[in-house]
Amino acid sequence: MDFIKVDRVGKTFHKQGGQPLCVLDDISLRIQKGEFVTFFGPNGSGKTTLLNILAGIELSTMGMVRVEGKPPGHAKVGFVFQNYNESMMPWRTAIENVLFPLEILHVSSPQATRIAENLLKKVGLLEHKEKYFYELSGGQKQLVAICRAYAYNPDLLIMDEPFSSLDYSTTRKMEMYLLNIWKETKKTTLFVSHDVDEAIFLADKIIVLSRLPARVKEIISINLPRPRKLSMLSTQAFFRIRQKVLRMFENE
Amino acid sequence: MNRKRLLPFIVPISILLFWSIITHFHFVSKLFVPTPIEFVSALLLLVFSGEIIGHVLATLYRTLAGFLVACIIGIPIGLLMGYSNRIYSSLEFVVEFFRSIPATALFPLFLLVFGIGDESKIALSAWSAGLVLIVNAMYGVHLGKELRLKAAKTMHVSGLDTMTKIIFPEALPQIFTGMRVAISLSLIIVVVAEMFVGTTYGLGRQIMDAQLVYRVGEMYSYIFAAGIVGFILNKGFMQIEHRIVHWKGK
Ligand SMILES: Nc1ncnc2c1ncn2[C@@H]1O[C@H](COP(=O)(O)OP(=O)(O)OP(=O)(O)O)[C@@H](O)[C@H]1O
Ligand SMILES: [Mg+2]
Repeated sequence: MDFIKVDRVGKTFHKQGGQPLCVLDDISLRIQKGEFVTFFGPNGSGKTTLLNILAGIELSTMGMVRVEGKPPGHAKVGFVFQNYNESMMPWRTAIENVLFPLEILHVSSPQATRIAENLLKKVGLLEHKEKYFYELSGGQKQLVAICRAYAYNPDLLIMDEPFSSLDYSTTRKMEMYLLNIWKETKKTTLFVSHDVDEAIFLADKIIVLSRLPARVKEIISINLPRPRKLSMLSTQAFFRIRQKVLRMFENE
Repeated sequence: MNRKRLLPFIVPISILLFWSIITHFHFVSKLFVPTPIEFVSALLLLVFSGEIIGHVLATLYRTLAGFLVACIIGIPIGLLMGYSNRIYSSLEFVVEFFRSIPATALFPLFLLVFGIGDESKIALSAWSAGLVLIVNAMYGVHLGKELRLKAAKTMHVSGLDTMTKIIFPEALPQIFTGMRVAISLSLIIVVVAEMFVGTTYGLGRQIMDAQLVYRVGEMYSYIFAAGIVGFILNKGFMQIEHRIVHWKGK
C-alpha cells in the first residue's frame, strides 16, 4: 500500500469579493513508507499549500488524499513550518518549545527533559536552552522548530524550507544530521527546498512543480548511492540531474 | 539627560502655579476651589487622623472584589467566544448590547437584586469590568496566530490543552490590556455607586458628604485619594504585565 496517495488533487482559494485562485491543479503522487521526497518549485506555486493538505490542516477542493490509507489528519505528523515565528511559542523557552509535543504525548517529565536536551545538544543549542524563543536568532529558531518536530516522534516528517535561515556550514551539517536520523528511523520525509543541490542531495525522489497553478512537472528518481557524501555534489551523475531540473525552468 | 528627567514635572508644577494664582486672587469662589494650602492641610489631617484609611480600604476592597469576579467569569467566556465560532455567534449580540448600556443606568436594578450593601456595588463593577474582559480576551484569541493552532492540530493536541497551552497564553497580552482598563473602570463604578444609598465607608460617599456641607478641602482630598488609588492600581498592573507577558510585541 502506498504510504501517501494523492489523486488528482486540486485546490482553489475563494477570496471574498475576489477572483478565485487556483493553486493546485490535478496533482497526483505516490509516496512510499520511508521515502525521502523533496519538492522543488518556484515561489508561490503551492508547495506549502500541498503540504498543509497532506498534514490535514487544510482541505483540498478536488481529488483524494490518503495517508496510511486514511484521510489526512490521522497520522502523526511532525511539521517544521516555513514561518517558524508564527508556529512556535514565544512565551516558552527553547527547551520548553521542544518539550511541548512530549507533554502532549504524556511522556514523564525526566524522560522528556532527557529527550529534549539530547535533541538540542545535537543541533548545538544546549547552552541556549533557557532562552526565550524570541531571544534566539532566526537560524536558532529554525533549529528549535526542527527539534520540536523530532521530539513528537512522527510517522511523517514534513519540512517546509527548514534550513532557509541557516548559514552555509550549519546547513551542510543539518543535512547530514537529517540524513543520519532518516537512515536510523526511516521516517517518511517530505522536504521543500529552493536549493537544487540540496533537493537532489537529500532525496530519493524530487518532485518538480510548475508555476501557479502548480502541476507536477516531473518526478525524478535520484539513484545516487547512500549514504550520501558531500563529495557527490561534484560528480557527473549529480551534475546530470541538476541540469535536468534546471532546464525545466529555462524557457518559462 | 537631566532635562529629560524634569519633563514629567513641568505640567504638574504649572497646574499648581495656576491653581495658586486663581485661588489667591479669588478668580474662583472659595466654595468651589480651596487654595493649595487648604487642600494640603485638609489632606494631611485626614491622613494623620487615620480617617481616610478606612474609606480607601473600603473602596479598594469593592474595586478588587468586583474586578476579581469579573476576571473569573469574563476571561473564560471571552476565550471561548474567541475560540468557537458557535459560542461567538450565540453570545456576540448579547455582549455588544449589554456593553452599550451605561453600567450606571443599571445600578437601581442591581440595588433591587443585590440589596444596598457591598454586594450591589461589587456586582455592578464586576458587570462592567467583566464585559471589558470578555471583549479583550476574545480579541486576544482573534489576534493570535492561526498557524500555532494548525501546528497544534498536526500534533493532535486535545481541546483542553489547546485552550490552556496555546490560546490562553496567546491571548494573555490582550487580556492584560483589558485588565488594566477593567480595573480602572471597576474603580469608577464603585466610587459612583458609593455616592448613592447604603454606604458609610467609601471614597465616593465621603466626596458626596463633603460636597453637601461645602467642605471643599476634604472633598478634594477624597477625590485626590481616589485618583491615587486608580494611579497605583494602573501602574502596579503595568509592572506585573511587563513581567508576565514579556514576549509581548516580540
Ligand atoms: N489562505 C490563503 N488564501 C488565499 N490564497 C492563499 C492562501 N494561502 C496561500 N495562498 C496563495 O496560494 C499560492 C501558493 O501559496 P503557497 O504558500 O502554497 O506557495 P509556496 O509554493 O509555498 O511558496 P514559497 O516558495 O514562497 O513558500 C500563493 O499565490 C498564495 O498567495
Ligand atoms: Mg511555502
